Amino acid sequence: MAHQAHAYHMVDPSPWPLTGAIAALLMTSGLAVWFHFHSTTLMILGTILLLLTMFQWWRDVVREGTFQGHHTPPVQKGLRYGMILFITSEVFFFLGFFWAFYHSSLAPTPELGGCWPPTGITTLDPFEVPLLNTAVLLASGVTVTWAHHSIMEGERKQAIQSLTLTIALGFYFTFLQAMEYYEAPFTIADGVYGSTFFVATGFHGLHVIIGSMFLAVCLLRQIHFHFTSEHHFGFEAAAWYWHFVDVVWLFLYISIYWWGS
Amino acid sequence: TLQLIQNAAARVLTGTRTRDHISPGLRPGVPSVRPPPVFVSPTKLASEAGSQVEYLGANRVPDLQKVFQRSDGVPVHLKRGLIDKLLYRTTMGLTVGGALYCLVALYIAAQPRNK
Repeated sequence: MAHQAHAYHMVDPSPWPLTGAIAALLMTSGLAVWFHFHSTTLMILGTILLLLTMFQWWRDVVREGTFQGHHTPPVQKGLRYGMILFITSEVFFFLGFFWAFYHSSLAPTPELGGCWPPTGITTLDPFEVPLLNTAVLLASGVTVTWAHHSIMEGERKQAIQSLTLTIALGFYFTFLQAMEYYEAPFTIADGVYGSTFFVATGFHGLHVIIGSMFLAVCLLRQIHFHFTSEHHFGFEAAAWYWHFVDVVWLFLYISIYWWGS
Repeated sequence: TLQLIQNAAARVLTGTRTRDHISPGLRPGVPSVRPPPVFVSPTKLASEAGSQVEYLGANRVPDLQKVFQRSDGVPVHLKRGLIDKLLYRTTMGLTVGGALYCLVALYIAAQPRNK
């Protein structure tokens, strides 16, 4: 490796941006082919390619940071900015769905019966499973903070235990939400109520799954001694993402489950 | 009844007797019972030297750092040798093959349907 007179990271040439772009092409065209020609081959091929790209790309980032030492303080600062910008973009993504919900629910049309919830919709009781879900995510916010402090204090066993607990709570939330989806008295096809409910909570659930995966990777890395008490940005990024997921749920709970019931 | 069972279990685990919880506590002269370390990870004596108890494996990061810092000009995505090469070739194969398949599928999809 060439010796550099600066603290920045000049990455090795990588094929993953290309494979990722082709994966996106295959997934989107595959979606269209599935809609019109009932074949899922292209879409599945795209998904496999996406998974391969993600695995290898992020594996390389770990190699560059943990094994090659490229993540100097200025580089880490850039990574922090990057994660913050990404989460901000996700905030705007969810803002759109909240906009849609409030647009329809603040001024319900005559077709809905002029009321919200619309006539004929049996809403879920916000003080049953949704409240449990709120408690579960709030608790996971506590455990992930516990994990962070454990890492900073060099407490290996506690870090592993608290991180595992956080992931378990995430899976519990997903399981409870899946049960709710199955048992719900309304579907996505039930007018604008169904649409806003399932699209907003559905995307949130997807983000819980993504966050859980991110934390699971961090758990594996913690077990393999990748994190030091001073340098563990991968974990911090996962924790930020997890708190974001938690906050989105709180807004969902207050707006759709509680106010909207 | 459940409460009685739970209380009995708690007494077994902590090694206490039925009325120990009533003050003024144990009679003077009776040695107090240390609760058996039921849930504690394997402990080491101070004499068994400085390093941490191994918990879930040993630290292999220094070895991996040596591997990945070899000055052989190999890019990071291939640096681990054969397994990296196989995975890369599989991914690239799917990429090129998939792109061609996609173009063909789109060409077919673009044909007008004559009814």
